[in-house]
Amino acid sequence: MVADTQMILDNLTEAVIVLNRDGGITYINNAMSRISGYDISDLLNKSLSILYRNQQDMIKSQYELQVAARTGNFVSEGWKTRKDGSRFWGEMNISSIKDASEAIEGYCCTLRDTSAQKEEELQLRQSEERYRIMVEGVKDYSIFMMDAQGYVCTWNDGARLMKGYSAHEIIGKHFSVFYTTEDLDKKKAEVELNIAIRDGRYEEDGWRVRKNGTVFWANVILTPLYNEQNVLIGFSKVTRDLTEKRLHEEALRQSEERYRLLVEQVTDYGIFMLDEKGRIISWNEGAKRIKGYTEAEIVGKYFSIFYPEEDILTGKPKHELKVAREVGKYEEEGWRLKKDGSKFWANVVITAVHSADGTLVGYSKVTRDLSERKNSEKALRESYERYRMLTEELKVTNSELSYANQELEQFTSIVSHDLQEPVRTIKSFLKLMEMKLSAGEYEQLHTYIDKSTNAANRMKELIQNLLHYSQLSKGSLKEQEVNVNDLINDALQNLRASVEVSNANIELDCEIEKVYGDKVQLTQLFQNLISNAIKFTDTENPRVRITAQQDNDQVRFGITDNGIGIAEKDLNKVFDIFRRLNTEKAFPGTGIGLAICKKIVERHRGKIWPQSEKGKGTTFYFTLQQ
Amino acid sequence: MRTYKIVIVENDEDEQFFMKDGFEKAGRLFEIVAQVRNGDMLFEWLEQQNDSLPHVVLSDLNMPGMNGYDVITGMQNDPRYAKIPVIITSTSSTPTIIDKCLGLGAADYLVKPETWLEYTPFVQKLHRIIEDKKLVD
Repeated sequence: MVADTQMILDNLTEAVIVLNRDGGITYINNAMSRISGYDISDLLNKSLSILYRNQQDMIKSQYELQVAARTGNFVSEGWKTRKDGSRFWGEMNISSIKDASEAIEGYCCTLRDTSAQKEEELQLRQSEERYRIMVEGVKDYSIFMMDAQGYVCTWNDGARLMKGYSAHEIIGKHFSVFYTTEDLDKKKAEVELNIAIRDGRYEEDGWRVRKNGTVFWANVILTPLYNEQNVLIGFSKVTRDLTEKRLHEEALRQSEERYRLLVEQVTDYGIFMLDEKGRIISWNEGAKRIKGYTEAEIVGKYFSIFYPEEDILTGKPKHELKVAREVGKYEEEGWRLKKDGSKFWANVVITAVHSADGTLVGYSKVTRDLSERKNSEKALRESYERYRMLTEELKVTNSELSYANQELEQFTSIVSHDLQEPVRTIKSFLKLMEMKLSAGEYEQLHTYIDKSTNAANRMKELIQNLLHYSQLSKGSLKEQEVNVNDLINDALQNLRASVEVSNANIELDCEIEKVYGDKVQLTQLFQNLISNAIKFTDTENPRVRITAQQDNDQVRFGITDNGIGIAEKDLNKVFDIFRRLNTEKAFPGTGIGLAICKKIVERHRGKIWPQSEKGKGTTFYFTLQQ
Repeated sequence: MRTYKIVIVENDEDEQFFMKDGFEKAGRLFEIVAQVRNGDMLFEWLEQQNDSLPHVVLSDLNMPGMNGYDVITGMQNDPRYAKIPVIITSTSSTPTIIDKCLGLGAADYLVKPETWLEYTPFVQKLHRIIEDKKLVD
């Protein structure tokens, strides 16, 4: 059946234009009107050039027709202008219509609006262009494409910089040029491609070779590329030069190594790390020395192992970590435990450690054993205390020495005078005797001899007294409870003779029964005092009164006489050794009696003092222990 | 040669006797105006002197009652007698004792002769000291 030609033409989506032999438009179909916006009335007898921007461009349309006439058709793509001035991209196909004799009858032109496709095409091209530029511009990575056999198809700046080849040197070459000879022997390149196909990608760090022959450490990723039909069309290869990174890593590793060695070897401080839960993950020499654990024994354990039980029960370790987390660090001094269970006083700093992105990685703990410091502080305090005590002792010794010195001086004085005096006397009389004998004068000789003998006796007595006195200071006291009455009676017994001779009256007024001390010495004490009381009375019969009273925890004795008394100025002299206030003739005595009394009283930790007025008697008081 | 009036303070009788003997044998160097047994007696005697005070006091150290040291201080402290030089004599030659005497204000210190029989040189020496040191106006 023959379709209606007109109907066919009107229903075509393509625009159809018929031109006469001269190129003038004779017919257009509906599609043409729709695409271009012109009616047949607009286009009748116009040339195709009306569709061009330059509507008068006859040269171009002539040319197109000529080509169509000569070759049979002319195809072109380009911008066409509609009636309203808008543009569209059109594909045009001009064919010549010939008659049987090959003469041109006219032309037939089809036109298709391919704007949309064109647009897509453009976008694609643009985007591809963008990608290409991007890839090309990357300098840090070598990014290029290979075909399915591994020949290099593209090359970017990064590849050029990394491997040394320029684009025209490398495109078309096989990518195995980048491999070391060893690798080539192992057919590494092919293996990689196969793995990439199999797994979808291939990645490795390995050695690659530059144009100049040097090798570098690279990170390489090979990715197979498929078209829409899943046919392998090639591979992409992205290479990163790790040399720098490697150097970096090496430097980092070395620095970490140095740091680790540094920390490990510190012996005065325990420095170690805990993980975020508080388990020990590192250990150093100092920690070992301070706490006693070896690394093997302690790593992995919770750090609460160092805390005394009471602290663990109150949750102290946890609390410390918490503070470190919140504040940044925790610092204190406190008790910690060594491996053997002993406590030591420690200075502790726990610092929270975070990674670069701020997450808590763990804690560092620095521990210092302050025991030594505490020990030295304690030692210092003790030494101060000892020093202070020594100073006290020294003071006491000093005063004792001072006293001893005084006694020594007195002794010197005694030796100087009192012992020399009788010697001198004897010498003098002997010389005198010699003179008289030579002169034949014998009268006085007996006198001289008597005087000499007296002197000699005086000396003997002196020496004995001295010795006796010096013995009082030495030796141990035989202290016991002594009956007071016994003491006094013994003393009076020894003085029986002088009591009788002087017709002395002894009065006792003692409330106290017992005292504590050396019986022999205390007897002498009473004896000397009573003897003095009797001796130094000249006008009347001596009356001696002996009293004893309680005086707090001591006993106070008094021996009162009605004798000559002691002048006020002499009161403090009475106890001096050999000090006599009166002449030998008037009141015989060596002057040592009271010195002895004082010595005895002082040895018994008491005191002795006189109370007197010249001519009105004397009382000697002294105290003894009970 | 000037004759100085001197008081001798000495407690030993025998010593006093031989001292006097020695002074007399030495010539008219000194006139012994008093011989007393100790410091107390010295001051008692001085009280009674009023106008005729001695030029020099020669005193022993070791005497009962007021001894030599007391004599020195007693003389110094009394404005009436402060100008009269006190010379101490003793058997002792211990430096500390000598220094003590001089420190207290003694004009000089003479060690007694070995025996009483050798007082003459002592007296001469005493005179010389008084003259050299111009102890008496």
